[in-house]
Formats: sequence, structure tokens, C-alpha cells
Amino acid sequence: MPHSFLVIDDSKLHHQMYRMIFSRGPLAGSTVHFATNGREGYGMLAAHPELTLVLLDLNMPEMNGLEVLERRRAESLHPHIPVVLVTTEGTAEDEARGRAAGAWEYLRKPFQPADVERLVQRALAEAAPAR
Amino acid sequence: MSRDENPFGELLQDYVLECLPLAEQVVDTFVELERRWRAEDPADDLLGSLPGRLHTIKGNSAMMGLAPMREVAHALEDACGLLARAPGRRNDAAAALLVAGGGLLADLVRHASPELDPAPADRYVERVRQWQASDGAPASDTQPERRQTDRRGGGDAAAGAEKAASVVRVDFRRLDAMLEVLGEGLIQHSALAEAYRELARRGGANEEMDRLDQAVIALQKTLKRLESTLMETRLLPIATVFGRFPRMVRDTAEAEGKRVRLLQAGGETPLDKAVLDRLSEPLVHLVTNAIVHGMERGDVRRRAGKPEEGTVRLEAAPQAGRVVIRVSDDGRGLNEQAIRKKAEALGPEARGDDSIPLRNLIFLPGLSTAERVSTLAGRGVGLDVVAGAIHALGGTIDVDTAVGKGTAFTLSLPVTLAIARSLIVEIDQERYALPLAHVAETVRAEPEAIREINHRGVAQWRGDLIHVADGGMVLGTTARPAPRRFYVVMAAGGKRRGLLVDRLIGHQDVVVKGLDPALGRPDVVSGTTILGDGRVACILDAVRILEGGRRAG
Repeated sequence: MPHSFLVIDDSKLHHQMYRMIFSRGPLAGSTVHFATNGREGYGMLAAHPELTLVLLDLNMPEMNGLEVLERRRAESLHPHIPVVLVTTEGTAEDEARGRAAGAWEYLRKPFQPADVERLVQRALAEAAPAR
Repeated sequence: MSRDENPFGELLQDYVLECLPLAEQVVDTFVELERRWRAEDPADDLLGSLPGRLHTIKGNSAMMGLAPMREVAHALEDACGLLARAPGRRNDAAAALLVAGGGLLADLVRHASPELDPAPADRYVERVRQWQASDGAPASDTQPERRQTDRRGGGDAAAGAEKAASVVRVDFRRLDAMLEVLGEGLIQHSALAEAYRELARRGGANEEMDRLDQAVIALQKTLKRLESTLMETRLLPIATVFGRFPRMVRDTAEAEGKRVRLLQAGGETPLDKAVLDRLSEPLVHLVTNAIVHGMERGDVRRRAGKPEEGTVRLEAAPQAGRVVIRVSDDGRGLNEQAIRKKAEALGPEARGDDSIPLRNLIFLPGLSTAERVSTLAGRGVGLDVVAGAIHALGGTIDVDTAVGKGTAFTLSLPVTLAIARSLIVEIDQERYALPLAHVAETVRAEPEAIREINHRGVAQWRGDLIHVADGGMVLGTTARPAPRRFYVVMAAGGKRRGLLVDRLIGHQDVVVKGLDPALGRPDVVSGTTILGDGRVACILDAVRILEGGRRAG
């Protein structure tokens, strides 16, 4: 079954980057959904229980990444879907807060396509028994 | 790092497209910070708007492997952070440091390439580190030109001291509070006038009634005078915004390698400070566009038989209770063909229908960005943003262009956001205020005069066919059109539309109050006010209704 991803990021450039990553190499053929802010992203997360992985930017207008995570945990929305929190030069403190709020992994910019591919492989391996 | 090493190298244009407008906003904000700090305004709101933009530029640059931009954005982020924590360091030297860094950042982004020379960025980062480590005194590399400006600033202060005896400084919020009280006075007057009319209707005329009538009229005049005096204290000459343009035009023209002179007129035109504060950014956008995209290079101009030096005009004038501002250039004019082609590519809503006027296309979101990337002869950088800002102020924007001759943008703005002369109407037992600035006429709605075409009401008005929408449907108070007695013709920016209402109550100056964002109002409501009888009424957003607001059908 092809994988399905959700990208929540206010940068159109990042949408393009993820589009490249998910259309080439091992992840080619995946379905990718895009949201430009946390509010929109949360709605899309709710609508897509089949998601393989969510890539969630930390800094966004209208609900940032942490707020999305906190609301998701409060409402127990699809807890089986791993969410990766993406930041620029995040501090260890940011990372700890992200994980405390329910982030499954943490991805720092700049990252390479291979970093995302590895995360997807790990998510599949870890999540498989739970499904 | 060479282009091939970065996996996202092919997205370089997308990077410029996203980051350049951000970088330019950052520069504008820095220039504005400089101006406000000189006016001893800490401008915390402006400082607060910077980290998000800088952070995005930093993150994007990092992903693209563009180290110089990443480093400069990072240094600026740090500098802004320090300034946010240490208001005492907000001085000319700090502003100059920011303006220089913003300019460098915009420049680097504009010419983004993996082969960029990292030296200017390294030098700048070093300069910021030194400034951070210093005690905030002016940096040693301050340019002579800036010292001159400082001296001039001192001169102004000396001249100002002579006037100081008759001038007091008042917090703008206190003027707002006074306006609130005036608003209550106006409401009480309306209540009194209504009570008088009711008495007159019942009891007829006698001497006491005449005296009461005169007192009510006299009170109205007094309140009017109080209102105009209070408004005058809130008004500032538009020159306070125009003032920054000579230098900006010079710098922008120089950076573009063009010769451009700026002619200004009407700087004395008064505008409410609240309007001025929000006018600056759209005007900078328009003037920058005129220089960067409108103006041809000197040799091109010479060949076209035009003076080598281009002219940008910035003019303001009061007009019928509003202020009209014109930003015009004698450049190449808009490339209509290119704009139509781009609009076509944007999708079905904008598909190349030649009957759609150019002025409606140029303000489409997305059009501008496409223009920028392809560096076509046309322009339109963020014009949707400019139009949005002007509409938010209750204003209109229009464009006029001739190939080879130039382009003119005409803005019409309310003098103040605080008080709106309005037509009060009733729709489904509720009262609403329609700002008179956008009311062209009120018409009795003869049922046979309104026809239905494509499920939309259409009427003849002054020789044209206009759409007439049901007020209750627009506001969402009814599910289907109801018979109504009048329609109000609204007009703005060449658009016209009728709105069917049940009753016309009268004219009133309403004191505009903001909307509680928690209330889920229809998007055609821009604010609220209190009427003479103490009832709360919604103020309708004529521009939204003309655009066919969400429920306007």
C-alpha cells in the first residue's frame, strides 16, 4: 500500500521540498497532504487516520507545532500516527517540550531527503505492531 | 557549497519567491523602527513582528545550503532579541545596524546563488557581534552621512524647544478615551432628539416644545464642534509618512542603477494617526514597485524619447470627506498581455476573460509572485497585499496605466477610523450602519424593477445593470429573499451593487468599535456601534459586500 503523509508548514518552499522527497527514490508514489498552518493541519490530521507520518513545523502562525501536539494529546486524536516536530536550530529545551507534548521524533533543519526517508522507515517498523 | 551538493538546489527560484518579500518587509520594518525610535516611540509592536519572518528566512536558507543568508538572518534575529530585552539600546546606531543588515539580507536573497561571496555576510555578522558586546554607544564605522542626520535631528530638537511652552504630549490612548466619551454624548443626544420627536408627535407644538427643540439643536452643534476639535487633535499631516520616502527612493533607485526623482504634493493633508500608522507599508510597496518594476533603465528611456531621469509622484489631497492618495510613475506601464497570461495560469477564477478589467486582475493573490519569478516586464509585487491593507482601512484602490507612459495607483481613504458617517438601515428587525463613503444612492424597490437573472436580482440603475442582493441573505438572517421596500446602491472602486433593506432610518455619525473576534459574525460586518436608542448595531463592510461577501450569493 502506498504511504500517505501530512506536511504542516507555513512555508511554500518547504512544501516543494517535501514534494521532491516524497516523489523520488524509495518514497515515490506516496500521497502527500499539505497544510499551511496548525489549525488547518489539525483538521487534516483528523480527516486522515491512514497517515503514515506527519511532519509538523514548530514555528507557524495560527497554532504553532506545540499547540497542535498539545491539542492532539488532549483530544487523543489518532495517537497511532507518529508526528515529527521540525525546527530550525531548536534547543534541547525545545526538543524536550516537543517530546513531552507527544512528538514522536524531532527533525532539525537543515535536513536531507535521506533523513526523512530514515524516519519513515523507523516509523513503519515501530508502528507496525500497533496497527 | 556548489549547487549540485544541495538536494533542493533546483528550488532556488521558489526560495527567492518566498524569502524576498519577507526580507523586504524586514527592511521596511527596520526603516520604520528607525523613524519611530527617533520619535521616541519604543515601537515594541514592530520589534515583535520581526522574529517570525527572520526565522523563516533562516530556516529556508539553511535548507537551501545558503550559509550567508542564514548567518545574516541569524545575526539580525539575535540583534532584535537583544533590542527587545534592552529598550535602552534602541538608538540611531542600532537602527543603522539593522537597516544595513536588512538591506544586505534582501540583497543576498535577491541574488541568491550557491556561489555567493560569503565575505559581506561574514563582515556584517562580525559587526553585529561587536555591537552586541559593546555598551550600545554608536559604532565606530558609523558613516559621516548619518552623523549629519544626527546633527540635523539635534537642530530640530532645539527648534522644538521654543514651541514646547504651548505643546503638551498626550498618550494617544487618552484621545481614544475622549472619543469614547464623545460617542456616549452623541448617543445621549440622539436619545434626547428621539424623545423630543415622540413628544412632538403626541403633544403638538407649544412654546416649551420650541425651547426644547432649540436646546436639542444647540446641543448637537456643540457636540459637533467638540467632535471636530477632538478629531483635529488626532489628525497628523500625511507628511509624517511621506517624510521617509525621499531617502527610500534614493536608496532604491541607486540599488537598481536607475535615476529617479520623487515629487511630493499635499503633505499637509491631515489623516487620523491610526490610519497613518497602517498606510505606511502599502505606500512603500507601491513606491518600491514603481522604481523597481515600473521604471525603465536610463538608456531604454532615452531611446524611447523620455528624460533619462524617471519621476515618481506621491500626492495627497482631501476629497469629499476622504483623502485621495496617488502614487504614479512615468515608467513603462503595465504589461497587460503578460498579466492576463499569468492570471490565466492561476486558474478558473481568473481565466483569461478579456472582459475582466486589468484593474481586477492585478490585485489577484498569486499574480504578483508569478510576475516576480519570471522577471517579466510587468509588475505587481504583492499588490494583493497592498489592496488587502487598503480595504482593511475602509479604503479603495484603483489602477490606471498606459504602455510607455506610466502607471498610477489611486487610493481613497477615510480620514479617520474612529467615526463613520453612516446610513442606518433596518433588515429583518435589526439595525445596521452602512458607511456613507460607500453609499451612492437609496432607491425605493419597486418589485417589477428587479428582475432575476441566473438566480440573482438585477436592476437598472443610472443606465447600468447592477446586481441587487437581499440584505437578509447577505447577513445570513434569512434563508430566502424576502420582499423589501428599499435598496441601497453601494459603490467602491468601480464596483456597484444594491442591497435590499426593509427600512431607511436616517444618517448618523457612529463611533466605531471593534468586533469581539470570539463572536462568529458574518464576514460582511466590520465593526459595531451603539445607536441613539442604546441598541448595538453592526457596521456593514461595504467593500466586502461589493466583493460578493461569503453569503452575498
